Amino acid sequence: MNTQRRNHFLLALVACGACLAAALAAAGQATPAASGPPRAQSAASPSAATASAGEKVFTANCARCHMPPMSLSPRITGTVVAHMRVRARLSREDEKLLLQYLAP
Amino acid sequence: MNQAMKTLAIPWRARKEFSALLRLRVGISLVLFCAFAATTQCYSQDDSSEKTSAGYVPAISGAFAYIQSARGGVQTLTPQIIPVLLVPMGHSLLIESRVEFTGFFQREDGTTGRYAGKVFKTIDYAQLDWLANTHATAVVGRYILPFGLYSERLAPVWIRNLQDSPLTYAIGTNPDGAGNGFMLRGVAASTASHTIQYSAYMSAHNSITQLPAQRAAGGDTSIFFPAGHVEAGLSYQRSLEGYQINNEAAYLSWQPQRASVDLKAEYDRNHYGDGYWIEAAHSPQQFFVAPDFFRHFQLVGRMEQLFTRNGGGHGLASVNEQRPEVGLNYLIHDDWRLVSSYGRVFSANGNANFWNFGFTYRFVWPLWPGRKS
Repeated sequence: MNTQRRNHFLLALVACGACLAAALAAAGQATPAASGPPRAQSAASPSAATASAGEKVFTANCARCHMPPMSLSPRITGTVVAHMRVRARLSREDEKLLLQYLAP
Repeated sequence: MNQAMKTLAIPWRARKEFSALLRLRVGISLVLFCAFAATTQCYSQDDSSEKTSAGYVPAISGAFAYIQSARGGVQTLTPQIIPVLLVPMGHSLLIESRVEFTGFFQREDGTTGRYAGKVFKTIDYAQLDWLANTHATAVVGRYILPFGLYSERLAPVWIRNLQDSPLTYAIGTNPDGAGNGFMLRGVAASTASHTIQYSAYMSAHNSITQLPAQRAAGGDTSIFFPAGHVEAGLSYQRSLEGYQINNEAAYLSWQPQRASVDLKAEYDRNHYGDGYWIEAAHSPQQFFVAPDFFRHFQLVGRMEQLFTRNGGGHGLASVNEQRPEVGLNYLIHDDWRLVSSYGRVFSANGNANFWNFGFTYRFVWPLWPGRKS
């Protein structure tokens, strides 16, 4: 039983290690535009750049767990984003970009 | 009156010691509060920039779900209503609470007879948040224990890809997945290439039926690489009552954008057992036939194993178990979702197939009209 347990554990560790290695490799191969800070990207207008940065924040943080709500009233966008800031441990900067993206 | 008499009956020395202890606790709390307030002042934010149309009206969010499951031939009907109340007070204070009403109905004789059961009510969290700055959000009240990847982020019925909780779910979340006390959380450091997040908490014992919690302290930290969509984290918790044990978890999350795959894995251990789960979910974004139809599908697979120690139990199974499971979900609408899954449990207590079918619906509504700008 101990040998079998050790084998299962090693299998899980190898699987996790492979995932991590592949993920780090993918992170290293990311394009410069994707890896740069949102504010460093050039855009036609500041608002478009901010919306794009907000979309990236959404994709990178919120979409890891769930889809965006189909309809989100602007009246409660601030409330919902504050709630998600607590849940997902977002920074104040990320909260601002999300607000710009969801309720420009 | 009786209470007053009892108070007077306490020996003078005991009262003096209790008073000294109380003063010490109040003093320590004041010092911590002042230190936190000073930190907040140092990192105070400028809210005057970048105005948006976002409003801060109280909202009610949450989910409805209905899941019909069969495990070893025994049918279970599980309707759920899970409202989340959000009440902001300005931009820095937020009251939030989530309550679960879960029905649990089975046939009276296992596989025959009429359905009978009851509805369970649970307060998942009821907390006051002070969003002081990027680095610190102070939470007071009843909160979800930030342990591992699943309990805090993936457990809501409308988020989870498979309706069954992992075999190791009870590790670090016993007895009810929540703590009563205070928590500090936020972003420790953030750069363009990575973000380090943290949570630290202290929970007091509570035996009230609706608010069970154990005395415990712990924390969680994770590092996220936005370019690669990779997150890795560690959790630790020390139970501070009864037979004091450590609970530990390590987790990994990765969403490679090119493959449209969501990979998540977690390893948990404590005195009573250890185990892991690995889950992969894929939504075909560019299927060669009818891509607009197939991109609403989600194919999920999860493998998990639990190895018991010291007799297991305490929320875990009492014998070793392993459970492969596959699921197929369909997003009718982004808020409506059909869910289905099949799995098989391999256990010393007997192997069994299990099926789940149902739907989930997520909602977000304002509680009342906001002021027009």
